[in-house]
Amino acid sequence: MDLSPVAAAISDEGIEAAGKAIALGVGAGLGSIGAGIGIGIIFGKEIESVARQPEMKSELESIRWLGFALTEAVAFYTFIFGLIAFFL
Amino acid sequence: MSAEAAVAPEGEAGAGGLSTKSKALIGLGVYFAIAMLMLLIFGSSGKDESFQPQNEFKLEPWISIDIGGIDLSINKAVLYLVLASGLTIGTMTWISRRMTQRPNRVQTTVEVAYDLTRNNITGGNLDHATAVRWFPFLGALFFFIWFSNMIGFLPLPINTEHTVDILGLQVPAFALYAATANLSIPLVLTLVVWIAYHVEGIRAKGFVKYLQSWLPPGLEDKSIFLKGLIFVIEAISHFARLISLSVRLFANILAGHLLLLFMGGGLAVLLGIAALGALTFPLAFFFFILEVGLIATLQAFIFSTLTAIYIGGKPLDDRPRISTPTDDAPGAALVGARSLARSAARRSGHLHHPAWRVTPPQARKFEIDHLAKERCSQWTCPP
Repeated sequence: MDLSPVAAAISDEGIEAAGKAIALGVGAGLGSIGAGIGIGIIFGKEIESVARQPEMKSELESIRWLGFALTEAVAFYTFIFGLIAFFL
Repeated sequence: MSAEAAVAPEGEAGAGGLSTKSKALIGLGVYFAIAMLMLLIFGSSGKDESFQPQNEFKLEPWISIDIGGIDLSINKAVLYLVLASGLTIGTMTWISRRMTQRPNRVQTTVEVAYDLTRNNITGGNLDHATAVRWFPFLGALFFFIWFSNMIGFLPLPINTEHTVDILGLQVPAFALYAATANLSIPLVLTLVVWIAYHVEGIRAKGFVKYLQSWLPPGLEDKSIFLKGLIFVIEAISHFARLISLSVRLFANILAGHLLLLFMGGGLAVLLGIAALGALTFPLAFFFFILEVGLIATLQAFIFSTLTAIYIGGKPLDDRPRISTPTDDAPGAALVGARSLARSAARRSGHLHHPAWRVTPPQARKFEIDHLAKERCSQWTCPP
């Protein structure tokens, strides 16, 4: 198989751009997996606790949103650092 | 024929009506059919090389000011900052001037937000003396971030790069931008918070005691080497707060705006597939509602809650569990009355007309003039 046109098409800029795109996609994607699992655990545990002790609902609410935002931010960290790698 | 026969048994759920499942499937089918139709009509047209998504976040200097090599130009971020601070000051003073015993909707909304900043964010995370001192700061922080997030979702004529011709007048195109979608502004807020909580800690405990309080409890009988190691880790974590607090707000708002940009047509233009726009445009509505309804408020809440926790100098899981202090009889009565009213309303099916909407919240008696009384709150001052 003749791979010379492929080899000729490969340039340093092309490799760099491809690497940046892969970094953005893989980084943000993997980060979202972790944050998704974390958010699921938070809401699941909150439902569990409210089912056990319904009178704690109002107090659990603020804790739940705190946990949700702290976890969700992790996904955005990866996304932003991916964007920084992509555009800079 | 066979496919129809397979769908028919589970399709007949209600008498004469379609089941939820088949409705959802039909909706999904229509959704993709529109996209396919768009693909047939327009093909792969609509690619625009001049469209640069990052330009939406570029700050064009409107009035160039350059002092000693530092760029102090007036640009759209400055406009959004001025708008947000003007709204923060304006709304609160306007509402507090025309407070009535029978609140209208605006006053009720502001009172709910005030209640949140006072009892939940400040009162729930700080002890009483610190809460009284830091409540104005935390409240202002919450409302400023909330307003700058919210006006970030109003299309304003700020895009001077592309102008629109309306009756011969060159009007800047309407665009979405948020001051908090620029790292500088969350970073400045974070720096203010970071310095403030160290100053508060040193003022409350003394310099050496404050540094000792960084160590988690339970290390008293451990060796000096271990203590030093953990102290270094804790010191690093204090600096990491600078990054986490600012990037959390910035990244959430920026990612929200990027999602709206791409879903609302940016992706179709960038890739040059017009049919993709039909698929992503409904998602733009969904994300807009999510951002306005949840993320904008949640990020303001998180920022001020974490600030309160940092000022209190306590680890996250050591918070007091009840937001109103136990000796706060009026506050507890208010909370009790509200939850009673809410459950009664829920039982009688009048949840959209809670009982406490017509009776003004008892908090009004002492809460709003809390700002006027110095060093005084509902727990110390007689009503």
